[in-house]
Amino acid sequence: MPQVRIIAKNFMDLVAALPAMKLDKLYESTFICEAVLRSLPPMAKRYVLQMLYIDTLIAAKSMEEWLLPDGLSKHKVSVDRLLQLRVFLEVTDRKKETSYKINPKFQSNIQKYLVNGGTLPREPMPLSITVRLPTLEDLETYASEQWECFLLQLINSAQAEKLTSFSSSMIKVFQRGLLSARENEAPKLTENGFQFLLMDTNAQLWYIIREYISTAEDRGVDPTDLISFLLELSFHTLGEAYNLNTLTDVQRIAIKDLADLGLVKLQQGRKESWFIPTKLATNLSASFTDSSSSKEGFVVVETNFRMYAYSTSKLYCEILRLFSRIEYQLPNLIVGAITKESLYNAFENGITADQIICFLQQNAHPRVAQKIPTVPENVTDQIRLWETDKNRVEITPSYLYEDFPSKEVFEAACDFAREMGGLLFEDSRTMRLVVRVEVHQEMRDFLRRQR
Amino acid sequence: MNAASAPSKLYSDDVSLIVVLLDANPFFWASSAAAAGDSASSHHPTTTLPFSKLLNHVIPLLNSLLLLNQFNQVVLVATGVNSCGYIYDSGDGGGGSAGGSVPAICSEILRRLEEFVVKDRLQGKGPDKVVATGVSSLLSGSLSLALCYIQRVFRSRARHPQPRILCLQGSPDGPEQYVAVMNAIFSAQRSMIPIDSCVMGVQHSAFLQQASYITGGVYLKPQQLDGLFQYLSAVFATDLQSRNFLQLPKPAGVDFRASCFCHKKTIDMGYVCSVCLSIFCKHHKKCSTCGLVLIYANKFHSYSNSKRKPFKYDFCFFFYKPH
Repeated sequence: MPQVRIIAKNFMDLVAALPAMKLDKLYESTFICEAVLRSLPPMAKRYVLQMLYIDTLIAAKSMEEWLLPDGLSKHKVSVDRLLQLRVFLEVTDRKKETSYKINPKFQSNIQKYLVNGGTLPREPMPLSITVRLPTLEDLETYASEQWECFLLQLINSAQAEKLTSFSSSMIKVFQRGLLSARENEAPKLTENGFQFLLMDTNAQLWYIIREYISTAEDRGVDPTDLISFLLELSFHTLGEAYNLNTLTDVQRIAIKDLADLGLVKLQQGRKESWFIPTKLATNLSASFTDSSSSKEGFVVVETNFRMYAYSTSKLYCEILRLFSRIEYQLPNLIVGAITKESLYNAFENGITADQIICFLQQNAHPRVAQKIPTVPENVTDQIRLWETDKNRVEITPSYLYEDFPSKEVFEAACDFAREMGGLLFEDSRTMRLVVRVEVHQEMRDFLRRQR
Repeated sequence: MNAASAPSKLYSDDVSLIVVLLDANPFFWASSAAAAGDSASSHHPTTTLPFSKLLNHVIPLLNSLLLLNQFNQVVLVATGVNSCGYIYDSGDGGGGSAGGSVPAICSEILRRLEEFVVKDRLQGKGPDKVVATGVSSLLSGSLSLALCYIQRVFRSRARHPQPRILCLQGSPDGPEQYVAVMNAIFSAQRSMIPIDSCVMGVQHSAFLQQASYITGGVYLKPQQLDGLFQYLSAVFATDLQSRNFLQLPKPAGVDFRASCFCHKKTIDMGYVCSVCLSIFCKHHKKCSTCGLVLIYANKFHSYSNSKRKPFKYDFCFFFYKPH
């Protein structure tokens, strides 16, 4: 099964990839320490907490004594992550024994947090100026509308009713990898593009944000500033208004783009203007970990392969069209059928059966979400069967060996390949042998020795 | 564990709901403070801790739990002598855990604790109680309160965090609460809620030893109370998922002794009703819990007297075996 290559949850990889100097500078802000801590694997969080008030070095060996026998792999992952993010600093002494200590800046910031608590990045504006703020529901509708509008523009600019103010070059950047732009041809979604559409909102958001940050340098913006601003943004209170004047120039440019994505809502008063973070923004730091947002689903799949989607969104209609035949569309309902043809179409575009099933399960209507299984078994089985129909031929990269000097050498080679577990095919009459690519190197060494 | 395969109601990550039961028994803390004053000059100054200092350890713990994950929720319940009550709920404050500064939360906790202690004392005045030397707190009440809270969370949300209970207990066990505490423990076990316990008193707590043992929580009696935060953060802040991979304190021994239903005494050996499993320290003619059974048994007795051997199964021995 092909892996989802454009998985976007590893935003922190971006942070980890920053040079040490910049990373240490980031840790001067408490928010970033907090966000980084929350992004860590559970074991790593616990290590940080345990070592927070220990000033001496902790030997790597003594840390291993904290573990139960099955914990070693998790431990290694956690420590690697801590080192990558420079939360732990590695010290090697003369005897080549490694020990760790917490990054002093990070340590003092978290210690301060524990005693004094988190402060807000900036004070919200008093109600006397902002007068009327949108309600939380309004804000959420706004955010999801804005996001859908953006996505629709991304996949199909012709369909979008109102365009976001992203320059076409920015949109091109986002589309890179998602759409194949061939000359003289309407852009077509690539395999990655389809997978992107089936991801949940948080993962999509991170993918876009990552692209946005990675192109920051071309726009003359330091990615570090952007990262720290985004992390800061996630600690603002949902639905409160914050004055735009408190932002730096870089941040003010960024916030316009973020408003287009639906992360913040911009509003203007008589004199001042302000931004209101939406749920998309406040969930940013939460979505580092894989606890995805709990959105209400809308799809009901019946055992007769018919699919009812209670949605008004054009975007969802487009997504459903990826793998089903849309039969009719009512104001709040899309009715479709999952057919062999529509699925073959999807498979050809590189969508896997598991992705489709996963999408249907994740977006199941609350009424059916309580049932087990949420998608009828005969439907999921059939989707998988149709997929295997397409994959009757399995491709294994391999090497063909022929022209062996003698039967003995050929047989020895066969035995060796079998031992290595890489023999795919042998024909003793023509003395031909097919071996997996992984064993090719060993095979060559072996044959050289035979001479 | 495997969140990808089956749609689970739990968050796949380490999101936790921690209900902290704080012992707010004025009798215990007064004696503790007095002991601390007495022993300040003598040999072991670290075995007791005044209540104010305790809060210095507990509030950073609550903070660190909230810090670890945005969706973590912390509920603080105070256990008094006659009552118990909610002191603080991080879920109340409009969601964002980063909001609400700690000094504000701290003063809020202090204010509500004070109110609670006053109310608790007033409640105790009704039926005039003789203040004995070892007054126990209402552990059964706060355990039940915690379990009810968790059940409500289970039912009200589509996805809920992994719950656990942390008991910070100082005062000695009240044998009269035995049945209620055991019921709470078993219902926690059924709902797979581990009960962690941190005992700050002089003696071990048999109730909490059993609670942690049965529900798979951690029982710890810190030796040095002035480093309490280190114990709390290193042991009790560990989420349930990581516990599968880490060495945590193991109980040295669990005191499985029960209290009898008739005099509420802790006993090593006693009588057990064969039907309802009530425990008595002396032989009774009638089971005080299920009554009826013994009337039937007695009748059966009288009927069978003439024909068969006397049938004595209404009560049998209950052995306490130390592990």
